[in-house]
Amino acid sequence: MIAALYARGAKTSLIPTVIIAAVLAMYTTLITALYDPDASAALDAMMKTMPGLFDAFGMGDDTTTLMGFLLNYLYGFLYVLFPLVLILLLVHRLVIRPIDRGSMAYLLASPHRRGAVVGTLAAVMLTMLAALMVFLTVLEFGTAAVLFPDEQLGIGLLRVNAGLSALWLCMAGLSLLSACAFRDAAPALWAGGGFVIVEFVAQMVAQAGDRFKDIRYATFLTLFDRYGLADGDGTAIWQAVALAVVGVASLAAAMTAFVRRDLEV
Amino acid sequence: MAEQPALSLDGATKDYGHGRGVFDEQLDVDQGSVVGFLGANGAGKTVTMRMLMGFIRPDRGAACIAGLDCFRDRAAVQTRVGYLPGEVSCPTDMTGIAFLNFMTALRADGAHVAHGRRAVEARMGELIDRFDLDPSARIGRMSKGTRQKVAIVAAFMGSPDVLLLDEPTSGLDPLMQERFVELVREERARGATVFLSSHMFPEVERTCDRVAFLKAGHIVGVEDMAAVRAARARTFLITFADAAEAGRYRAAHPEATVPAAEGTGREIVTSHDVAANMSLTVRVSGTVSGFVKDLAEYRVADLASREQSLEDMFLHLYGDRETGGGGTNGMTGALTGKEDAR
Repeated sequence: MIAALYARGAKTSLIPTVIIAAVLAMYTTLITALYDPDASAALDAMMKTMPGLFDAFGMGDDTTTLMGFLLNYLYGFLYVLFPLVLILLLVHRLVIRPIDRGSMAYLLASPHRRGAVVGTLAAVMLTMLAALMVFLTVLEFGTAAVLFPDEQLGIGLLRVNAGLSALWLCMAGLSLLSACAFRDAAPALWAGGGFVIVEFVAQMVAQAGDRFKDIRYATFLTLFDRYGLADGDGTAIWQAVALAVVGVASLAAAMTAFVRRDLEV
Repeated sequence: MAEQPALSLDGATKDYGHGRGVFDEQLDVDQGSVVGFLGANGAGKTVTMRMLMGFIRPDRGAACIAGLDCFRDRAAVQTRVGYLPGEVSCPTDMTGIAFLNFMTALRADGAHVAHGRRAVEARMGELIDRFDLDPSARIGRMSKGTRQKVAIVAAFMGSPDVLLLDEPTSGLDPLMQERFVELVREERARGATVFLSSHMFPEVERTCDRVAFLKAGHIVGVEDMAAVRAARARTFLITFADAAEAGRYRAAHPEATVPAAEGTGREIVTSHDVAANMSLTVRVSGTVSGFVKDLAEYRVADLASREQSLEDMFLHLYGDRETGGGGTNGMTGALTGKEDAR
């Protein structure tokens, strides 16, 4: 870890992280406030008019409890897509752009091993994601405590958020691997980012109807089973562990690629 | 004699296909010397610098600094090196001073700090003053020359053992170029080894003890600067008082009519844009005193010196031999003849 680089990376990453955190804070409080156990019948009625659409966005499940409501409306789409946008922004700012514009030369010219350079940049990204996760968790519990003191989120939500962290780690690892492995800026960004987006779309299609449900086996996003995690289901927990392992392995592969490659800066 | 070279290329090859890259480079740079690396755009200067910085790995051969492999041992190598990239690309969102402080902190974080942080900061201040640099502006808003100054300060402020400078004066005005030349001379006096690439001979001539010529990825020769200076041809544009005077000069030097007779040391290369046949372009090899004495016999309105192009210089020094096995064994053709003449 290189302290000066970490501080500089954190400064570079702060604005996109704050913006994404603000957007997700808005959705989190808005959606929590929209929860009304008595009105769920009306929402269910609306869902029934457009079942495919709600299903595609992962919002077609049970919403009669606050936990179910949040899992349905936040964890299927918003808590996956916006963090992915943040990951791509950070990978671009921290790795792809400095290589593309040549300012990486100054980092490489410093007396540090390349592993330390890329490790520090990865640590910056993971810190931002961890901060976002802590912020959202506190916000969820805080908002729920204020608006619905009778509803219990408890350990189930913490398990879901731990699983979601594993999913973010996996997306971050794949995006960083692509950033480190490809020579040109466009594939460096879009091989990883595009892959995750395709997987995301595949998940939407799989959720949209029974006809395509087998597609879920073709996307790693299926490994994040939010309802299973909420219930403490063993398979769901192992799937989340698998996501974390893929994430760590991708990060390790990204560092190796960065250390070994030619950097024409 | 047995002293290890500060910097060496041992058969270093990086092949990008289609003839691009560098091939079988052989070069030793002694400690405390200043060596120029002269080649046209695209000849492979930056590729060589990147190999020396450990940014890219040679396909074959090795680039070494202080006996350490530049790719494998790059972190250790870089404790000794100050680097000025060919394309100055400091982060545009930082101010100049924030960038320089960042680079100082980055070095201080390293395993090895050759000079204390205070010494680096003091040296930074000196260099900022020397180059009249205002580092408070954002780098993105700086002119090319000002950015170059920031990069020069960053390269030199750590007082490194070895300086790798890729086209260091690009973008600098003549006054700043002069200050840069002084700086390089001081660094040499301090004992630093300087390896400086350029596509302009005068830049190399003013700073370097030796020069390596690079053509299409091959080092075609490594020479002492004094020998090159003596041997290289100079081109003068003479404007005579009238066309008759120009004719008289031409008639008096029948041996100099193109192509020049072997060994005469003078060619009249008349370009097509001469005004009313009053001007002649003359290429003079070796010393110019004979040429000047002779010219004094004529009524001359103007005399201008023109820089020889690199292509012409290569041709003049090495003839049109193939660049393949260049090597470092000294010049042929014009230079050898000239040294004999002296």
